Amino acid sequence: MRDNAGLLHRHHLLLRRLHSLTGILPIGVFLIFHLTTNSSVLWGAINTRADAEGLARGVATFQHEVAWINNMPGLLLIEITLWVSIGFHSVLGVVYALSGKPNVRLYAYRDNWRYTMQRWTGYIGILFIFYHVATLRWGWSFLVPGGAQWSHHFAASTLADALRGSTTSITPAGVGVSLLYFVGVTSLVFHFANGLWTAAITWGLTVSEQAQKRWGAVCTALGAGLMLAGWSSVIGFLITDRDQARGIEERMLIEHYGEDRADQIITEHGHADADTDHNEQAMTETQD
Amino acid sequence: MPTTAYAHDSTAAWRRANRERALPGRTVILKIKRCDGPGKPARWESFKVPVEPGMNVIAALKHIAANPVTADATHTTPVVYDANCLEEVCGACTMVINGHARQSCSCLLDEYAPREGDTITLEPMSKFPVVRDLWVDRSRLFHALTRVKAWVPIDGTYDLGAGPKEDPASQQDRYGMSECMSCGCCLEACPQYTHEDDESKWDTSFVGAHAISQARLFNEHPTGKELKPDRLDELMTPGGVTDCGNAQNCVKACPKGIPLTESIAAIGRQVTLRAFARFFQGK
Repeated sequence: MRDNAGLLHRHHLLLRRLHSLTGILPIGVFLIFHLTTNSSVLWGAINTRADAEGLARGVATFQHEVAWINNMPGLLLIEITLWVSIGFHSVLGVVYALSGKPNVRLYAYRDNWRYTMQRWTGYIGILFIFYHVATLRWGWSFLVPGGAQWSHHFAASTLADALRGSTTSITPAGVGVSLLYFVGVTSLVFHFANGLWTAAITWGLTVSEQAQKRWGAVCTALGAGLMLAGWSSVIGFLITDRDQARGIEERMLIEHYGEDRADQIITEHGHADADTDHNEQAMTETQD
Repeated sequence: MPTTAYAHDSTAAWRRANRERALPGRTVILKIKRCDGPGKPARWESFKVPVEPGMNVIAALKHIAANPVTADATHTTPVVYDANCLEEVCGACTMVINGHARQSCSCLLDEYAPREGDTITLEPMSKFPVVRDLWVDRSRLFHALTRVKAWVPIDGTYDLGAGPKEDPASQQDRYGMSECMSCGCCLEACPQYTHEDDESKWDTSFVGAHAISQARLFNEHPTGKELKPDRLDELMTPGGVTDCGNAQNCVKACPKGIPLTESIAAIGRQVTLRAFARFFQGK
């Protein structure tokens, strides 16, 4: 029976270990960079190199980081690698998760809760990543309350629109989206930190109980840091002065592409509503 | 004491406190999940048992066997259970007591039911096929030991002579693992080890913490390590070490305190190294 066992059976170890590896590289490493970049909308406020004043420095820092990423060589290749890895990790993850039967009701140990949460945060993470990529990357704006389209040229302002559900205020639907992001980011950070801890056992790096405890402290610290970055990103975009952000982004666009090309981009991405007035106002305000 | 379906609290401190306050001459209730045979439906029956000093669950089951009358005065059949050594080294009398698997021979009534009318719940282990009542068939557990060749190869056509010497440090390391009595507590607690009646699937279903730890025990034995490649190759296949989900219930459930999670990590390391060796060296 062993001889004609299927592909999955013959390459069982390889698939399991690739599942473990993809969770860290590239997905986990990407998560670290992603949350660091996004939280710059808040920590960027102390970035004195940013070409803005006060909290708006965060917007300028974030826009600068996003523009840099979007000019990276091989960006599409990186994206495809990520999509393939996330797809692979998700499909196998669900198959593996369904092979067990969580029993925290009977064995309410902390480690057993971790085991169960790892599976639940995985399911939540898949749904959240799909929504996140579909709306903000593939532009499925019909899933965004208020219909905001994210643009890397106007990174902070369009993201604020998408999270708030409107270009002017926070709507109830926007609160829903923000909560979804809060839950999604929290789930994924937990999933990564815990996965990093168990990966060390899987590969046999941490063998003794003490080693597992020590590595656990490292993973907890990393998880706490990323959790903070994730939460501050959501909060940061909710408190961003949207119109002021748009002004800063347009100014940076002109600096980067020159007046003519920037005008073109602004027209392409201009919202059909009364925003244009706001933007001009905001621009003159910041220029003043 | 918790008033949920099970008294989950079975910590050493809780048991010690119960032992100290246990009321002499009391009667306790044994609530037992019964089943007349494989595939038959399960039912609950309760029995009143007068407690004698130092009484364990096996002694209570013997009392029931001699007086097979339920608490509501209905005559029934004696409760079937498995037991052998009565000193917690054979594993035969393992059953689920108040929700957690443990040996019933070392389970004192004083520690679990210290007051008049307290109830102890007994169930067969859920991960193995029930033979009858509290008696389960643990064949799959032993099948897993054959999968990982948990033995030292000394059979031959001539006397192989004395084996290589083992240093005391290695002996110390392996002693803990050698205490495994194949009782099944680690499997009962494991969320990745699920009930499988179909014997043909035992070659691909999870072997469990005990078999992984035994593979480590014999991989580190000076003569037993001859079979290390075979053991690791088997543990790379479906149902091997990779099927562990790191819930780490096994190490908490083990009555012998065997460092099962360390064994799983150690085998994880051995498998990693062997996989690289096979990839780059061809064999």
